[in-house]
Amino acid sequence: MQDNRTKLNAPTRRQVVGGIGLGTAATLLGMPLVARAQVEPIRIGFPTPLTGPFGAEARDQVKSAELAVKQFNDAGGLGGRKAELLVRDDKLNAGEAATRTLELIEKDKVHAVVGALSSAVQLAVNEVTRARGMIYISISQSDTINEVKDWSRFTFHEALNPHMTTAAVAKHTFKKGAKVAYLVADYAYGHEMLRGFKRAQAAVGAESVGEILHPFGAPDYSTFLPRINAMKPDILCICNFGRDQANSIKQAAEFGMKQQMKIVVPVILHNQRLAVGAEVFDGVVGGANYYWGLEETIPSAKAFNDAFRAANGGAVPTDYGAYGYTGVKSLLQAITAAGGTETDKVIAALEALKYDVAKGPQSYRKCDHQSIQSVLVLESKKKADMKNAVDLFRVAAVEQSGEAMLRTCAELGFSG
Amino acid sequence: MTPQSLDTTSAPGQSRSGAGALMQLASRWRVPLTILALCALPWLLPSKALAVNVLIYGTFAVGYNLLFGYTGLLSFGHAAFFGSGAYLTGMSIVHFGANWLLALTTGITGALLLALVMGTLSIRTRGIYFSMVTLALAQLVYYTALQASSWTGGENGLRGFTVSRIDVFGLQIDFLNPLHKYYVVLIFTALALWLVSRALNSSFGAVIEAIRENEVRARACGYNVERTKLISFVLSGAICGLAGGLSALHLAIVPLDTLHYQTSGLVVMMTLLGGMGSFFGPFIGALAFLVMEDLFSLWTAHWQLFVGAIFILFVLFLPKGIWGTILGAGER
Repeated sequence: MQDNRTKLNAPTRRQVVGGIGLGTAATLLGMPLVARAQVEPIRIGFPTPLTGPFGAEARDQVKSAELAVKQFNDAGGLGGRKAELLVRDDKLNAGEAATRTLELIEKDKVHAVVGALSSAVQLAVNEVTRARGMIYISISQSDTINEVKDWSRFTFHEALNPHMTTAAVAKHTFKKGAKVAYLVADYAYGHEMLRGFKRAQAAVGAESVGEILHPFGAPDYSTFLPRINAMKPDILCICNFGRDQANSIKQAAEFGMKQQMKIVVPVILHNQRLAVGAEVFDGVVGGANYYWGLEETIPSAKAFNDAFRAANGGAVPTDYGAYGYTGVKSLLQAITAAGGTETDKVIAALEALKYDVAKGPQSYRKCDHQSIQSVLVLESKKKADMKNAVDLFRVAAVEQSGEAMLRTCAELGFSG
Repeated sequence: MTPQSLDTTSAPGQSRSGAGALMQLASRWRVPLTILALCALPWLLPSKALAVNVLIYGTFAVGYNLLFGYTGLLSFGHAAFFGSGAYLTGMSIVHFGANWLLALTTGITGALLLALVMGTLSIRTRGIYFSMVTLALAQLVYYTALQASSWTGGENGLRGFTVSRIDVFGLQIDFLNPLHKYYVVLIFTALALWLVSRALNSSFGAVIEAIRENEVRARACGYNVERTKLISFVLSGAICGLAGGLSALHLAIVPLDTLHYQTSGLVVMMTLLGGMGSFFGPFIGALAFLVMEDLFSLWTAHWQLFVGAIFILFVLFLPKGIWGTILGAGER
């Protein structure tokens, strides 16, 4: 009993002597192996919806994030301290994501969280990390997360937001006097995109001829499309995501609407274009955070693509997948700059960080922690123009990174 | 035969076998025993956050079982009570800056009143019609929450009411500490379990079982069937509201999914898995379901396949559920 207690509670003299001896030996001999074994790894929690309708995008995010961690470790980590990625399935459910994030913080003792792939889910993760002073890099589109009400000193928004995406897309597709009709998925994402487009449309001087809401996950658009045809628009703007995007564009093509109007989407998705084929998407224009074709002009994109191809059997990274890479990479760069995982120092390092890891220069704005970055405007290629199976889009324009694309700090409710 | 009916029909001294006597003793002390077991739960499960979820969904399932297992009414609308309890608790803090306990009380009261309204409207229908009416009414609540986005946060869910510190009779408790949070939630779970146990052991408990077994005979015996059903419905709703309120305090968010009919389906599944019509079964069902989900989803992305297969096996081979089967084996 006495023996047990001694063993459990306090180190024995032998352990202390041994520890000092080992420590001294390690210091004297400068043995990096022993030192490395003693430091704990940098743990990054990564909640993402592996199951559910955005599963394909989520798996791409995990692959890219793992690549960023591997590169960091291969380069020696932080003075020998390695990073570790803890992937968790949030099932595209805000309550599940909150529970998983609590587990990551309380049980796995992560140093930072990166991830989530829907507006509601990232706001749930944000709420949990904010209360516990945990650094969170959010990698999914949202305008709400920039606003002062949900702002957290510990949260950085690596993804584009609907405001900047729609501004860039509208600038390159809308013309003065053009008539625009909207088909909008009736949930937060659709509403935020619509709001962005209408604001951009007013700036360009285009005119709205009507908007139609469709339920999230609708398989059939045949009742909506004739009503849009009757509005006789020059541009049909379809604000939805995932399978909805593929289904609605496919049916619009079947209705022969592409001959009468141009189809514009806020975010044109690599995986959805692959799913339905070139004929259907031919000529559709939309925004993106990343396209592998950037490698022709941007060296960091070339480096990212090559590393990704090598790790994934020749596959190219996708748009939403790239967020996993840029998000984790920027965090690890900041941790390196801060020289450790101490929260305040990492925040200061993230705020000061200028990074170019995949798509050209990026940085986090001080007031709302939004990543200032370029927005690509892509046009889907004809089948005849495609050089290979993944040569999907032509880069129609690159809206260069700049604060002008974002809402001002004052508009978001920040005083300073 | 459920353990409660054993309790009321035979005195403990008359039992023939030793195991039977032990079962009866355990049944008599079921609430203290349950609470004792729950005290150890945080150390047995993979994470504390999961343990708190088990308490919350266990309470939800026990409350639901009062109506489903004991009164024999299959409701598909209990997400409305869980969700309204959660939303009202959160909204009291966000919009009125209420104290956490007052907020929780508001949540329970709101769920109780909603149950009174929904119960009054649905109780006269039976069987599948009852299920459909409760489902339809719960969907009304869902769309109300979706539309009233300035109050509920709409699609993005309700946020901004993190309770980080609570004050109990001058004692400051750090609510962000997972263990403290667990034991605070456990107090409320214990109260709910005691309340349900007490109700089931009263003559009211005997009457609702009589209604489940034979409604016509219960009516012929002179019981007011409608009123008894309504009381059972309201009590069940209030306990589910408590579970919802606790969930809001636990996660510090209320997702719109809380009101979705999948939440109603989830509680039916948990109750069936654990064993409907037994006092502790639904709690075991919630525990088993959440632990399976947690472990399997860490292990494979195809976790739904395995959880689904296990559920099918249970329905086919253990129709009494986990706890019901254990109890059945004990009685033999």
